Amino acid sequence: MTRITIALTALALVTAACAPFSEKDKENLKKACAGAPATLHQRPAELKSFPDAQGIFYVAVQKKGPATVATGFVNKTIGPAHRSYSQALKNAAGYSVTKEEQDVADAEVNFAGHGTSGQVKMVQECKSRTNVTITIRPS
Amino acid sequence: MRRLVLVLALVPALAACGSAKGPHDAKSLVVVVNAPFSKTPYLGRTIENGARLAAAQVNASGIRIGNQSYVLSVRTMDNALSPARAVANVRQAVSDGAVAIVDEGTGVDASWRAARGVPICIVFQGGSGLVDPATRRNVFRIAPTDHGVAFRLAEYLIPQRLRIAILHDDSDYGAAGEQELRRAFAGNRSSVAVDETVPADALDLGPQVLRARRAHATALLVWGRPATIAAAITAARSAGWKVPVYTPPTGADPFVRQQLANHPAWVDGLTFAGGRLTAEVGTGPFTAFEQKYESAYGVDAVGVRTTSGQKVVEPPETAMYAYDFVNLLAAALQRAQSTKPARVVDALENVSVEGANGDSRGFNRVSHEGVVDDDVYFARFHDMTYAPVTNDPLSRTLPRIPQTR
Repeated sequence: MTRITIALTALALVTAACAPFSEKDKENLKKACAGAPATLHQRPAELKSFPDAQGIFYVAVQKKGPATVATGFVNKTIGPAHRSYSQALKNAAGYSVTKEEQDVADAEVNFAGHGTSGQVKMVQECKSRTNVTITIRPS
Repeated sequence: MRRLVLVLALVPALAACGSAKGPHDAKSLVVVVNAPFSKTPYLGRTIENGARLAAAQVNASGIRIGNQSYVLSVRTMDNALSPARAVANVRQAVSDGAVAIVDEGTGVDASWRAARGVPICIVFQGGSGLVDPATRRNVFRIAPTDHGVAFRLAEYLIPQRLRIAILHDDSDYGAAGEQELRRAFAGNRSSVAVDETVPADALDLGPQVLRARRAHATALLVWGRPATIAAAITAARSAGWKVPVYTPPTGADPFVRQQLANHPAWVDGLTFAGGRLTAEVGTGPFTAFEQKYESAYGVDAVGVRTTSGQKVVEPPETAMYAYDFVNLLAAALQRAQSTKPARVVDALENVSVEGANGDSRGFNRVSHEGVVDDDVYFARFHDMTYAPVTNDPLSRTLPRIPQTR
């Protein structure tokens, strides 16, 4: 019995040591969301034909050299947020998903289309909200 | 009778030579590493080591296709940075039955045809035209693209309101970089103080650097081979110009530090763009890979020491790309249940593996790029080692990889 307990404890410690995501990431997933940031009244014109995920609220858009970077959020957890952008890009004429990946608290959808390429980066910041950063650059 | 015995004894030995059977009666599939072993030995060796490390791991269980087991056998060919030689190597590799080619990138513009559909994976050069799933379906890449590096540099530097002197050498690498930098800075030409081509073999770039200084540049962006970068830094620093220097991944090549070993302070502040070494999962997977690499081949010593006397080593970044491709190849062969090039290429578009850095690595029908542009980060040298910068959103989230032993 003692041996089993020791073995299980050791396994738990090893698993914890190997756990790929920080405790902070996991805590964020359980944390209640604070008030949402102020959002833009209109969809940023700089995004042109880039598709919107269902429920996206834009917060800001800026030029960073040749790139356009839009930030916003969706009131969803990381899984549904990821699926929303993946589907939006796959369904948008002229766009394709070049790579996508989802981890416990973050996801990326890389895309190309309409003479551009870039990435939608999503990070779940609290229980029911995922922050979105869209980087669009000439391809 | 004795002759018969001798002949019978020779038969299995000769058969083994032809098919390179492994310990479990497995047949050998040759993976050729086509790289500049004679011109840039560090690069060639690290690509070879990455490929061999993955092959050794794959061979522990082998690849089962139908009733036959296979092992991977890595063979090297020196392209000497010559496109003609690179193409000849690929032709030879295909004629010898190679199942795939791990390539530094030189000559791929021509060698992809010579490969006759055999998959080629570029693990160093980032030229945009080299990879195109629509027209060169057998060409893949796991390395940062020049497009990604150039645009990320522009996105990083332009908001800092620097006046940038762009120097690029006339090597294939420099020319490909020039093309992408022009596009990246096209909408912000006022950020460019001067844009010059310099000879790749020049030992003294004093005149070109002086022109940059006279153009009131506040940053040097040098895109070229390691020797060009070392020459540009030497020219600036020996003239007392403390301008910040930015480079593509070649800035981290050990050759740059070796050339400047007598003036370690000149390396301080050198900032390069490269592919991130760690994924969101943290340093664990890359560290594990690095330990396996070092156990098998030893450290890649840079040949310089820190001020406290510690030996500086180079993290096996390019080796990681070669390693990931060979693992993808093994997964593709398993999925294809065939060694026919077209079937293997099909399968390469449909498999993924956990890469050495813990990220998912794979290709699909629309993208044969294994490193996305947004995975390009920036690192700055101090005391002959580098750390991610803190003034870039991605870079500041990345941990520092230990580089001393």
